[in-house]
Amino acid sequence: MVLEATMICVDNSEWMRNGDYSPSRFQVQADAVSLVCGAKTQSNPENTVGILTMAGKGVRVLATPTSDLGKILSCMHGLEMGGEMNLAAGILIAQLALKHRQNKNQQQRIIVFAGSPIKHEKKALEIIGKKLKKNSVALDIVDFGEEEDGKPEKLEALLASVNNNDASHIVHVPPSQNALSDVLISTPVFTGDGEGGSGFAATTAAAAAGGVSDFDFGVDPNIDPELALALRVSMEEERARQEAAAKKAAEEASSQEKGEDAQPQSDSQNATSTATEKVSDPMDEDDLLKEALALSMNIPGSDSSAGDAQMSEASNDDQELALALQMSMQDGSKESSAPSDVSKVLGDQSFMSSIISSLPGVDPNDPNVKNLLASLPGQSESQQKKDEDEKPKDEK
Amino acid sequence: MACTHDHSCEDHDCSSNWSLYKHIDLSKVTALNEANPGSVKSVFKAWEERLNSTGEHLESNEGDPELLVYIPFTSDVKIKSISIVGGADGTSPSKLRVFINREGIDFSDAQSMQPVQEWDLVENLHGVLEYQTRYSKFQSVANITLHFPESFGGDTTQIHYIGFKGEATQLKRDVVATIVYEITPNPSDHKTRAETGGGLSHVE
Repeated sequence: MVLEATMICVDNSEWMRNGDYSPSRFQVQADAVSLVCGAKTQSNPENTVGILTMAGKGVRVLATPTSDLGKILSCMHGLEMGGEMNLAAGILIAQLALKHRQNKNQQQRIIVFAGSPIKHEKKALEIIGKKLKKNSVALDIVDFGEEEDGKPEKLEALLASVNNNDASHIVHVPPSQNALSDVLISTPVFTGDGEGGSGFAATTAAAAAGGVSDFDFGVDPNIDPELALALRVSMEEERARQEAAAKKAAEEASSQEKGEDAQPQSDSQNATSTATEKVSDPMDEDDLLKEALALSMNIPGSDSSAGDAQMSEASNDDQELALALQMSMQDGSKESSAPSDVSKVLGDQSFMSSIISSLPGVDPNDPNVKNLLASLPGQSESQQKKDEDEKPKDEK
Repeated sequence: MACTHDHSCEDHDCSSNWSLYKHIDLSKVTALNEANPGSVKSVFKAWEERLNSTGEHLESNEGDPELLVYIPFTSDVKIKSISIVGGADGTSPSKLRVFINREGIDFSDAQSMQPVQEWDLVENLHGVLEYQTRYSKFQSVANITLHFPESFGGDTTQIHYIGFKGEATQLKRDVVATIVYEITPNPSDHKTRAETGGGLSHVE
């Protein structure tokens, strides 16, 4: 989530008419530019992006660094090709544009699309690189299009003189079936740090792949990041729970069960497992149900006590979450009948604490117990989180 | 620890005079043309440790002795004098130009702008020299930028210690930070009390 101001240097020279990248070099460049802009603004809403063209009559700044994505994309529309690319002037003017950015706290970055031959000498490029490094400007170079002797070496030399602590990157993209954007998604040029960049990258990768939904949980992180985050957290907790449960089953295969006291708990445990299994894998419900039954037989009361301890911890940490938990408990009961009633029961802390105190021989401080506790509230919490997200939507 | 001053130090504690380093907002200190990013923070320490060169020091990039250091303070300060301890073998800075209360200065700005004050430095390996400021110009300093344009012939410029003598006021300069506003308000974030129960309604 680095706060960054970026200037994109677009090559609109005659060499961009070539069709070795389909449909044309210029088109793929435009796609890549929109991809980058999206990724940057996604990763941090205060990021700004600007565009300038390097060829044509001369270097021309189309947009100074702005966070308005629409303005940037409209600049790319209707660009004309012609002339020769002037790399040195383009970079220097980009640096000047960044110098006059509004928010001085932003890091400076220049992204250059170098598609045509480079007429500058290596020495001149190195001097420019040193100047950028001295002013702590990072540089990303996309080497595509025209392949000329010495062009990769010149660009590598430029990168070496700019590179400070691996902040700058270069990508060589030869002509191929894959679009330039697809190749770029996986490179460090565009994978921003954190969810924003990679989320956006995942989205566009999915779109490029032909509409196959590639999102982690069937939820677009762009549209609803909170929900996506909640689902991801619940998935991890579910995984942890399953691992813990598997461990438990292995350990307690030979342990004694509780008496009648444990029956209501085992039922509730069973139901909770059912509920969670429902969330994660609706297809194998019956198998999982049986598995959960077997599990809960082995570990009756300990689960509930664990659940309560963890739950109270959670509510102490986050008052809002506790409130949401209670509210969604009520919601949960509408969704499904028996399982959620029981999970509601499980969630009811006063009930849980009374049960725990009544259970002889259950030690809530036992690490095994605590493990299972982690799983129990994890599911209900994640369920609540999901409900919590859905609830505000409902209220709107 | 001996003060290496001409006067005797038993009467007063020299180090307390150089205590403005406590008012430096270290997290926001930046430098341009430093060889190791972040090494600039190591030059701000207590007076007693100024000769302690076992830690990191600030060094400029190879072949380019120019350095620019931006130092914000946590409250407005008055600076009476500045002390710089450089490196050996010609790597000490030879000139110092300072700018006050300007953010985002880079090398081209620093070279073209008129500084608030500039000094010709000497090699000050023991940190006994201090450079007086024109006190009237340094009355409410929220941040200061130090520009070292050249060294004493060395390939790089090294700085081991930068100290400020003066006093700190409790005031803070007014700053309007860059704020991101809501583009589309979310009604559920702005519940009025009327919706949640009785009482005077107000938007939260």
